[in-house]
Amino acid sequence: MKFAIALFAPPHSPAARRALRFAEATLAGGHEIVRLFFYQDGVHSASANSVAAQDELDVAAEWSRFVSANQLDGVVCIAAGLRRGVLDAGEAQRYQRPAANLAAGWELSGLGQLHEAAQQADRLVCFGGH
Amino acid sequence: MARSMLIISRQSPWAGPSAREALDIVLAGGAFELPLGLLFLDDGVFQLVGSQRAASVEQKDLTANLQALPLFGVDALFAARRSLAERNLDESSLALSVEVLDDAGLSALINRYDHVITI
Amino acid sequence: MATLHLLSHTPFGDSRFSSCLPLLADSDALLLTGDATYALTAGTQPAAELERLPEQVAVFALDEDVQARALSALPARVQLLDYAGFVELTCRYQRVNSWL
Repeated sequence: MKFAIALFAPPHSPAARRALRFAEATLAGGHEIVRLFFYQDGVHSASANSVAAQDELDVAAEWSRFVSANQLDGVVCIAAGLRRGVLDAGEAQRYQRPAANLAAGWELSGLGQLHEAAQQADRLVCFGGH
Repeated sequence: MARSMLIISRQSPWAGPSAREALDIVLAGGAFELPLGLLFLDDGVFQLVGSQRAASVEQKDLTANLQALPLFGVDALFAARRSLAERNLDESSLALSVEVLDDAGLSALINRYDHVITI
Repeated sequence: MATLHLLSHTPFGDSRFSSCLPLLADSDALLLTGDATYALTAGTQPAAELERLPEQVAVFALDEDVQARALSALPARVQLLDYAGFVELTCRYQRVNSWL
């Protein structure tokens, strides 16, 4: 089955880890992930600048590794990202901000990417909350 | 055939960017002429109150954007009867023309769409 | 036709649980994750509301969240899932409505 998975929660929310474990389980079950889409506070889960304590799970880093290792299409909503300070090099330059912090594996793009994914997917599964 | 999506908006216009970001999903889909529905549930029905003054809290006017929905080809607009009644909102004096549904109607509505996003 | 409703907020002091329950059609199902699993706490109002759902409505909970919270004496109708079961469940229902 084809899945689109959307995350609406920051890395310190249990939902960010739950979404990651779900995504891993879809691949383990032989399913396909057509796209990951991070929206609202989920954009923070694609930030390379969050630092987890040494004895805590680094969910944002795990997401980055997961997307890269499986060569997944990982999209962060550009409008939600700009609003919350998750920028790639191009946007940091455009808005004259001191740093880019979008983690490896992700790209910024528009909400049209969410709809395109939903068109391809048999299931859209969203994660947020606690 | 294009897959349909129902967006359920259940935050007030003043509870942070959620109401606007729910609407943005609808508007983005409308631009692609996708079959979309928008349901106002729980505090989301407060988006339908007229004469709100966004400038009073230095925000943009969400209601004006909501009224543009039919121009984007989105006219499947719904509100929950229970949510309106709980908040003592009169179905006949809303700022947007919506179909008001009871619980059974909402169950059926959700089950008509391919995808659902509740924000 | 049927919808899997996914909750992750506590039923105590958050309205999602009470808003979701009346919208469950007989063929629909409920999956409790995160703090929503506190609805399974024996002797509470949310647990009683779960028991009152129509018999046909299936109720699931993510096992890891139940374990983490030391929840016991679970309602008989609740089925516990791991992530593989979670994925399988999303395939079984036609759509997933996550109450974000």
